[in-house]
Amino acid sequence: MPATDGERPSDAELLRRHVAGDSDAFGELFRRHRDRLWAVALRTVCDPEEAADALQDAMISAFRRAGDFRGDSAVTTWLHRIVVNACLDRLRRRAVRPATSAGDEQALDALLAHDPDPARATDIRLDVDAALRMLPEPQRAALVVVDMLGFSVDDAAAILNTSPGTIKSRCARARARLLPYVAHLRGNRSASQRVSPAQGGDT
Amino acid sequence: MTGHPESGVLAEYQAGLVTGRRRASIASHLATCDRCAGLSDQLGEIPALLAAAPHPAMPADVARRLDLVLAAEAAQRHSSERTADDSPEHRATIPGPRRRWDFRLVTQRILVPAAAVVALAAGGFGLSHVIGSSASSSVAAGSEAAPAPSARPANGTAAARSEAGRPGAVPAFETPARFQVVNSATNYLPATLRQQLETELQRHTQAAAAPQVLVSGSLKGCVLRVTHGTRPGTLVLVERAHFQGQPAIVIVAVSGHDRAAWVAASGCSASTDHVLATATLPGTSAP
Repeated sequence: MPATDGERPSDAELLRRHVAGDSDAFGELFRRHRDRLWAVALRTVCDPEEAADALQDAMISAFRRAGDFRGDSAVTTWLHRIVVNACLDRLRRRAVRPATSAGDEQALDALLAHDPDPARATDIRLDVDAALRMLPEPQRAALVVVDMLGFSVDDAAAILNTSPGTIKSRCARARARLLPYVAHLRGNRSASQRVSPAQGGDT
Repeated sequence: MTGHPESGVLAEYQAGLVTGRRRASIASHLATCDRCAGLSDQLGEIPALLAAAPHPAMPADVARRLDLVLAAEAAQRHSSERTADDSPEHRATIPGPRRRWDFRLVTQRILVPAAAVVALAAGGFGLSHVIGSSASSSVAAGSEAAPAPSARPANGTAAARSEAGRPGAVPAFETPARFQVVNSATNYLPATLRQQLETELQRHTQAAAAPQVLVSGSLKGCVLRVTHGTRPGTLVLVERAHFQGQPAIVIVAVSGHDRAAWVAASGCSASTDHVLATATLPGTSAP
């Protein structure tokens, strides 16, 4: 949620200034949201190199197409949509070439290396990120946008360019898939040891 | 199924995707089955669990790179407001067909009978501060029409030529000082690559007190990609030259105690490189 102090211009105002020719406005907008944008990119493509490339593509695109922004969604929704689309674009192109397992290790390395506070919740996050990698990409993207970033189903549908029903369905299936991998994180539930959930459900 | 719904069904149930009699039957099952109720509880906790996972901060090098890309965009917009080719759709999110990202080293993929890029990471120089930050090929495409080169050899050649032929036509990047791209008639050969590079380094290394940026989008992206892993601020030479008779670009940067050289095809950009040769030079007499 974009905080707006009294001092700070809103996201929409920054975008308006950018369109009007202010050469600093877009950079400020980007810096304001870059960690979230990075998170969504990294978690969508699961590879820091590609995440950086995708984010760069996306930011250039957003920079140039800011005039198209109609204000019918939040600026953050618009930005995330561009980022996610750039990521999915990369994933589509990556799909035609052999998968590289190195990407996963790099993603982990990058997360470890850049964690500003390694002691804090690292275990949880690594588990979550490792678990996310188990998901098919569309499910992962939906889950990242809805559960991790907190967008509404409708906003997620706009971001991912699909219907709210599809978002719900992808999230549901993704959660079911994740369950075996993350249930242990809720260590206080004895049920999580006892119950072994049906693998995967459908895909 | 023996009455226990699968976790996928439970998740859909929670998401409101199961309706009618099926929904009623799951509800009554959950009321009586501890196992499934527990499973349902766990499923319901996943969103909170995911929300609690901290976001990884953007790595500093990525942040710096993107800041520079945006600064370059701003400078380019400023300087080219009157030019018509500033189409917003210029490959911003859809960067051309079949661009590839297998940017790692030395793959000798000589797909392009075209110009090459020689990148030399020079150890021991404490010299300049080229921010090897990449303007992606998106920027490149917007600024100088150097399209995805690997898939289009002819274009790659043409783009390299035109780029070499009109260095002044590249949109200016004004904020930090420009890193001078050297135009040279040197024809690098595999057998003498190291000696030639040594010589060239002595002639052209640029000491710089302030951050510098490469002007050309594709070239800049290429440098970042080819010298991947090299810390920013270590580049000391970028040179348009030849390699085995083909137009080439030479890039020199500081990297550790050794100096490593890459030779890549000219279509090299932020997202593709065509490394034709590499060399490692021993640390040199540091300045």
